[in-house]
Amino acid sequence: MDFTLTEEQELLVETAARLLRDECSPSMLRAHMDNPGAAAPLWAQLEAFTELGDGPCTDLALFCEQLGYVAAPGPFFADAALYRPLRQVLGIHDERTGTVADSGVYAPDADQVDVIAVIRDHEVMFATDASTRLVPTADSTRRLFAIGREPKAGDTVAIADDQLREWRSRAWVAAAADAVGTARRMLDMSVAYAKERIQFGVPIGSFQAIQHKLADLALTVERATSAVRYAALTIDERDADRFRAAHVAKAAANAAAHQAGKDGVQVHGGIGYTWEHDLHLFIRRAEGSAHWMGTVNAHHDAIADILFA
Amino acid sequence: MKLGWGPEVGEFQTELRTFLDEHAPAEAAAARNFAASDHDVIPQWARDWQATLFDHGWMIPAYSPELGGRNATPTQTMVYLEEMARRGVPRSLHFPGYAIVAPSLLEFGTPEQQALAPAAIRGDTVWCIGMSEPNAGSDLAGLQTRAEVFDDRFVLNGQKVWTSYAMWAEKCFAYVRTDPNVPKHKGISLLIVDMNTPGIEIRPLRHISGSAEFAEVFFTEVEVPRDNLVGTLNDGWRLTQGSLAHERAGLWVDSLVRIETTISDLVALARDRGLDTDTGYRRAIASLYERSASLRALGYQGFAQFTNGADAPSEHQYMKFATSELHKECFELGMEMLGELGAVIDGEFAEAQGRWLRSYFVSFASTIAGGTSEIQRNIVAQRVLGLPRG
Repeated sequence: MDFTLTEEQELLVETAARLLRDECSPSMLRAHMDNPGAAAPLWAQLEAFTELGDGPCTDLALFCEQLGYVAAPGPFFADAALYRPLRQVLGIHDERTGTVADSGVYAPDADQVDVIAVIRDHEVMFATDASTRLVPTADSTRRLFAIGREPKAGDTVAIADDQLREWRSRAWVAAAADAVGTARRMLDMSVAYAKERIQFGVPIGSFQAIQHKLADLALTVERATSAVRYAALTIDERDADRFRAAHVAKAAANAAAHQAGKDGVQVHGGIGYTWEHDLHLFIRRAEGSAHWMGTVNAHHDAIADILFA
Repeated sequence: MKLGWGPEVGEFQTELRTFLDEHAPAEAAAARNFAASDHDVIPQWARDWQATLFDHGWMIPAYSPELGGRNATPTQTMVYLEEMARRGVPRSLHFPGYAIVAPSLLEFGTPEQQALAPAAIRGDTVWCIGMSEPNAGSDLAGLQTRAEVFDDRFVLNGQKVWTSYAMWAEKCFAYVRTDPNVPKHKGISLLIVDMNTPGIEIRPLRHISGSAEFAEVFFTEVEVPRDNLVGTLNDGWRLTQGSLAHERAGLWVDSLVRIETTISDLVALARDRGLDTDTGYRRAIASLYERSASLRALGYQGFAQFTNGADAPSEHQYMKFATSELHKECFELGMEMLGELGAVIDGEFAEAQGRWLRSYFVSFASTIAGGTSEIQRNIVAQRVLGLPRG
């Protein structure tokens, strides 16, 4: 396996990181809680990148990691990681933006896109006029909508099991990429805090208990990040291992998301437990990602099915 | 990013596979088993095999042919390590000579000492490493074996412990204290000690699974020629870093492949025990698989950094403690699946139980030997995450 990034990929990562750092600060995330419009300037910048959804999963995953790092709100993920790949697997061409509701699950950012692709059984309805309800969630950065039972206008297309499997695997990898990005953010915040917080006359990062906790967390995050990249690679090369790899990626990413949140608060101590501190913004995003599109157990069950086949 | 390695390795891989198909001994497959018997720790087939590898340039591929290699690139070396791991074929059943002594001599030794390297790599000379002592484990620099310095010789008094292969070694690569009056790191020297020298006593050490692959080594007034000093006097601590630098980025491959083999064994064991439909066991195995698969990806991520010039990729700092702990957990699950008979070796299941039991016990050493998990975490925290020393 050759994990070296191309120059273009390195540039993509750098560009994404810089753009998102500038356009998606924690104060914007807080403003966005009460006013979705606060993320409009961010979306204006990200729209140009949605075509990543038509290209290699590797590049999209690299970009999604950066999105997760800043907990970026807005319909980028819905359009690039869900809708465009669905269009591609069905061989449909479309200039519209979209989101996807898979088998009764909520659709992200349904109010900011042209089309909601509703997957039910082996049919996809491309609804342009559906009743939607914003669902209260713990994660304000990802606005989820419940779709009404009878979406009105829209073309219906059949989707086969293998097409669903391909699309879902790609979606899981993108979601996993977002999750490891957020987990890494919390790891970085915790390491930084451990270096600056003084107690007993020394930085708490010099205590072995803190060092070991962060070393373990770093392992979990690094391992998950690599698993996501590998899965993206297998998808791009249509490797036989891609379905298993996608389950591994999502399970590993979920674990990293959970651990980074818990250990992040622990390292920060009392202050990490406050609303005022930014940590919880990322905990919420991470938990949202970890529960969405398959929990640890769901993906472990799928891995077991493959191992015991 | 790509799954394969590209054209540079095609021919190399074909040649390797042909060579292994023709020459790899049948006994090698059994030797990979964690629980292989220790009655003959370095059997003749293994000596012959190591020599064959050397003579055909497949012992350390990155080295030149005189040193048992073929001037392979880092990527070719990785392909080699992958293939050997995949087939479960060990290069050698005693690592000190080729993995530590030869590279150290080649890097730090005099021409006469460098001339010892080929025999070390070929396995003609069996070496042991005299490092740990009863009072110097994780704190290796605290070693006390004293080497009094004279014009023409050193005189050794002291004790080494956990010395693997001491019972079979002709030579010892010994780290000794040549100056007790300076800070501990600054008074250490590296000596080549002939194991036949009068005054050396070897006592095999049995470990918890019953066998004895290592030993205590006692030195009483052991005389070592001055020429046997490797490097400069009192500069030995720096030399503890000597190892196959170009293979460091692939050291994890063998450990990981062993874990994958054990996980396959767990799947088979679950079936044998009628546990393959139990959600709990299915998830436990899936969890182990998920972590080993992601560690495999992490290893390759580190290799990518290595080929891009990172001498000690941060990704690889995790591999030793991560793989050893994961493997321990695999064996623990195996023991759990054996049920009430887990600690008993009886009946139709005896052979399997014996293997799992022994593997489980032997795995307790893996998180201690070669750097404890605790020390490894300290290293990650301080060198990778940049946290301050306590």
